[in-house]
Amino acid sequence: MELLGLSLALFGAAVAAALAGIGSAIGIGIAGGAAAGVMTEDPNKFGSCLILQALPGTQGIYGLLIAFFVLSKIGLLGGAGAVALNWNQGLQIFASCLPIAVVGWYSAIWQGKTSAASIQMISKKPEAMGKAVILPAMVETYAVLALLTSILMLMGVQVG
Amino acid sequence: MSYVYTVARIRGMENHLLEPAFFSRLMDSAGIDDALKALGDTSYSQWISGAASFDKAIDSEILATCKELETFVPDKELLDIFRLPYDFHNVKVLLKGLFKVRGGDSEGRRYDLLSKLGTIDTEELKLAIETEEYGFLPYGLTDLLPKCWQLWEQTKNAQSVELLIDDAMFKALLKVAEGLNMPEILYWVKSRIDVENLRSVIRLARMKYESAKALPFLHDGGTIRADDMARLLNEPQETWARILSYSDISSVLSALQDSQDIKLSLSEVSKSLDDYLVRVLENAKYSMDAPANVLLYLLTKESEARNMRVALVCVAGGLDREFGRRLLSNGR
Repeated sequence: MELLGLSLALFGAAVAAALAGIGSAIGIGIAGGAAAGVMTEDPNKFGSCLILQALPGTQGIYGLLIAFFVLSKIGLLGGAGAVALNWNQGLQIFASCLPIAVVGWYSAIWQGKTSAASIQMISKKPEAMGKAVILPAMVETYAVLALLTSILMLMGVQVG
Repeated sequence: MSYVYTVARIRGMENHLLEPAFFSRLMDSAGIDDALKALGDTSYSQWISGAASFDKAIDSEILATCKELETFVPDKELLDIFRLPYDFHNVKVLLKGLFKVRGGDSEGRRYDLLSKLGTIDTEELKLAIETEEYGFLPYGLTDLLPKCWQLWEQTKNAQSVELLIDDAMFKALLKVAEGLNMPEILYWVKSRIDVENLRSVIRLARMKYESAKALPFLHDGGTIRADDMARLLNEPQETWARILSYSDISSVLSALQDSQDIKLSLSEVSKSLDDYLVRVLENAKYSMDAPANVLLYLLTKESEARNMRVALVCVAGGLDREFGRRLLSNGR
């Protein structure tokens, strides 16, 4: 049962990093497609396009952050060796990883779509760059809330 | 397949479209040479080699746009929806020429009226129709052309043949649109049939036609049944908008209703109908990946070309500039 707890915690870390990362990759891909389209006609918009394309990448970073948090919590970082976890503690850590895993995945895809729309917007109205950044940043709010939820939940899990 | 790249690139291309105000300024040119000079900074300049060439130059510009879109639009059929009517236009030109030649007019062929914008190469089409080798022709032309000859032999009526060709064109458009599986494109094709039917009904009303005789001039496949369109001829013109209130096209008829004079408003209504066809697709503007943006861009480009033609013809022919301005559409 000791190994099951550790496995569940590691599975949670993997899910957080993987799903949020996949979402970010898709989101950046969508925004990148739009950026390439706009830059084909106007290469001078590279700077603005790059900022907007990068926005959906944050969810992947949040997922990685939670994975590090979990690995640190279970003692796999720092060389001290893994702490003993029962299945119940492992499940709690796994559940803590779910908010950023699921919300990160979905929000990155939708943020990518919003970024693509914003990139199209600055193609016609370059002066609206400020507004164009705010729109996809609104989607970011929910990824940040999910990250916060995962962190608070992880901090509440008692191990060792 | 994703249209994110396609639509983003089109958004970039839209920046190069000419503003309606440009055409108004173009009309103020002292002569055609000044007008052509004013085109120096536009994409049209690369095609213009002299005052006589502007008509071909406008076609070349649209053709270049189609070729450019072909390189990155995932579904080529979307471009066919735009180009296919030009194929049928070319078929009409070639057939009418041959009818005249067979009727004894050796100068009847009007190759100058052929458009390069069709999907079928004009030389190949010319050869196919002249030699009656229709085997390779697409869009049902293989079956259509013998029928056209048969009808011509029976009636010697070029207008009937033209209607038969139009009917086949709309069937081909519907088939391509259905194959695309894009509801907004299919709706646009149906709306285009409505527009063509309404244009015919307005013309027939001017000629005092009765509804019973109007049906052969109307085409099936639109959002409004051809029978219902024909029945408009039994009703006073000011009630048409109310009768068709269930359809989006009734908004165009309101202009007709307000004018109270069918003759005066004909060019206005015709312009409104063209604008309506652009409006049908306008929701796509708010989507970052709607395929309809491709067709919307082409229609806007076509509208720009129409404005260019109106402006240059006005300047070259010394026509009334105010009349010309009224003919300009606000496609963009």
